[in-house]
Amino acid sequence: MAAAIGDRKLLKFLSRAHGFAVAAADQALADAGIAPTPATATRWGIAVGTGMMGVPYADLAEVHDHSAAGGELEPGNLIDDPSANDPMVFCRSQSAAGLSTLARRYGIRGYATSVHTACASGGQAVGTAMKLIRRGVADCVLTGGFDSMVNPVGLAGFCLLSAVSQDNDTPQRASRPFDSTRNGFLLGEGAGFLVLEEWESAKRRGARIYAELAGDGNSLSSYRITDSPPDGDGPIQAIQQSLANAGMTIADIDYINAHGTSTAMNDRSEAAAIKHVFGARCADIGVSSTKSSMGHLIAAAGAVEAVVCALAIRDGVMPVNANLVSVDPDCEHLNLVRDVPRKQVVRAAMSTSFGFGGSNSCVVFRHPRETDALVAQGR
Amino acid sequence: MAHRVFVTGAGAICAAGRTPDTIFADIVDGRSSIAPIASFDTAGYPSHLAGEIAGVELRSLLADRKLLKFIRRTDVFGVFAAAEAMRDAGATQWRDALPDPEAATRFNDRFGCYVGSGGGTFDSQYDYFPLMTEAHDDLRAFGRELEANVNPMWLLRSLPNNVLCHVGIAHNLKGANACITHHSVSGTLAIVEALEGLRSGDAERAVAIGHEAPIEPQNMLYYYRAGLLSPDGLRPFDASRNGSIFGEGAAALVVETGEAVAERGANVLGELLGSGSASEAQGLLAISDDGEGLARAIATALDDAGIAAGDVGMIVAHANGTRNSDVSESRALLQVFGGDMPPVTGFKWAFGHLLAASGTIETVLALEALKRGVVPGIAALSALDDACAGLNVSRETRSPSSNIALVISRGFGSTNTALLVRV
Repeated sequence: MAAAIGDRKLLKFLSRAHGFAVAAADQALADAGIAPTPATATRWGIAVGTGMMGVPYADLAEVHDHSAAGGELEPGNLIDDPSANDPMVFCRSQSAAGLSTLARRYGIRGYATSVHTACASGGQAVGTAMKLIRRGVADCVLTGGFDSMVNPVGLAGFCLLSAVSQDNDTPQRASRPFDSTRNGFLLGEGAGFLVLEEWESAKRRGARIYAELAGDGNSLSSYRITDSPPDGDGPIQAIQQSLANAGMTIADIDYINAHGTSTAMNDRSEAAAIKHVFGARCADIGVSSTKSSMGHLIAAAGAVEAVVCALAIRDGVMPVNANLVSVDPDCEHLNLVRDVPRKQVVRAAMSTSFGFGGSNSCVVFRHPRETDALVAQGR
Repeated sequence: MAHRVFVTGAGAICAAGRTPDTIFADIVDGRSSIAPIASFDTAGYPSHLAGEIAGVELRSLLADRKLLKFIRRTDVFGVFAAAEAMRDAGATQWRDALPDPEAATRFNDRFGCYVGSGGGTFDSQYDYFPLMTEAHDDLRAFGRELEANVNPMWLLRSLPNNVLCHVGIAHNLKGANACITHHSVSGTLAIVEALEGLRSGDAERAVAIGHEAPIEPQNMLYYYRAGLLSPDGLRPFDASRNGSIFGEGAAALVVETGEAVAERGANVLGELLGSGSASEAQGLLAISDDGEGLARAIATALDDAGIAAGDVGMIVAHANGTRNSDVSESRALLQVFGGDMPPVTGFKWAFGHLLAASGTIETVLALEALKRGVVPGIAALSALDDACAGLNVSRETRSPSSNIALVISRGFGSTNTALLVRV
């Protein structure tokens, strides 16, 4: 990680997830060819999806050994506990640390926000960022998500809920969204970042535009903490709003990067939601869950998958939904991208993210050629 | 044309009380509810004061008492404050009397929920300590003994977005939503996102909530070592100030567009006029000495609201009692308002710093102040710091000079928010 971000000292103040954030945001800004300057800094915003507060396991173990060796915390022991008095441990634990680090590193001085809606965090952060530009608060926004729950406490939390696959002997086959034999997700870790810029100003500077972030939909299932309703209520509203927000109809979408966690409930609910919204159009829309190949990045998932959508548009290729052998009968109406990637012009791509707690996010990207045509028509 | 956004319900809970008017009455009377911490043994701790919600049985704050198994202390406060604000607004009662089920569905789909959350606590991780003792640093044993030692609901109980989830379920809200985990501007940013969500038509009604319960030993040590916690009391802008004091609690506001208010003839408590937010890009703990970001946030808010600095009738300052924040806040206010500054007050001295909930509860109290035409004095102030000279603060109760209040929140990451409200 030190090599990726070139700053060993900074890393001491960062958790593993924060390190991923810096690495991915560095890449995104370099790729965009634009960054805040003293003259533009106040017009740059930042909106990130942050993981739940987690003390790195090694830090937790130090507090345990010093101050809770018997299994319960002894507050008096904390007073001279090196870990409980170490400002670097404090910084690593803070939910505002990732955002603060990025804003300082790049000199972003405008609107700054950090959101957490579990697995919907990344998608909601990207949607929030788009709105900052639309409402004129910022000209450019650095947006994304970062997370790592690949640690004893994080993994344990999901094991206790029986949410993760136990196919430990076949790791590459273990995540198989929409397959009838799916049995839970696998954790992934990392970060995804996008640089958003107002359309006209991007055109003026001759930026290479991957896609227009065209619409955002955002709803609450208000059903159960962990599950979406089997009939897709909640996700349906998010998908419909994103289309309306983008000024699109179901005819415009060519690819859906599904939330597709590979749990029994999520994939069924999501398939029902897509069917409800797209009806007969389902036959023509490629669908894949890239969690099949990289696992579930939790608060970063929606952000990385937004990046995947942008690349699908740029390259005219839909990534594969790996590990599909026998499609779940409840998902058979989906035109899943099986076995090999699908080369096809993607006029618009959609990324869905549904979180524990019931937040649903859907963001829609439009091919820049389509946007050019709309602009030429004066729309 | 953007929709106008009105406040139609409010709720609050903190050490000073469980309703906005009782909390406000305490402040006006100059009573502080900051006291020695009772929830853990503070022997040997450098700082042992907080605004605890003492003697409360958490169960009694919940309409659905079973919920206590699934949420933590901070969430209980958030769910409670939201229920109070919803009851005050009466919007869901109106929905439930609608004869047309489709109208009710539409109401729910267009009702948003925006939460500012602390993002997590250290003690939620302590649930693993018994297991770690059992496992003797052996991760295989940790895995093997996991289910026998840790509550299966651990992850769900620890979610930072639990209030969003359970307020949604309790009131059947299905609209636009957010859970902001950005330290002490979280609550204000939740109000800002609700305001913008309603302005732009993402939702017609929403509840904006802030909640926090930061009084735990490990957290207190870190804040103290960072120079942020006082050993002996919160004295904003005072020459002797030496840090902040934690409080705990929550607050909530129900907001509706002008059209939604008219549709059901709702009682209006106030209007959200505009907001501004700015970072100073200083990192997690540092802030600019000159209040540059805060001055910019206030200017943005005035512009957003379409008013001039002279229209502001009172200022609820962040006033957290730390050396750096108070002086830079004072400089920002002098820069924007100069010698023509309306009465400035702050509330944290009375019940502590609610971090993620601070902006929410202070907005609720600002509306209370405007309604009564009373700017409470800062009873904890005895000698204004020379570095804050010119700041229009007082120990005495005064009157606002207009029906508009500015509410300021500042948080980690050198972020600043300014919110303008009117009654």
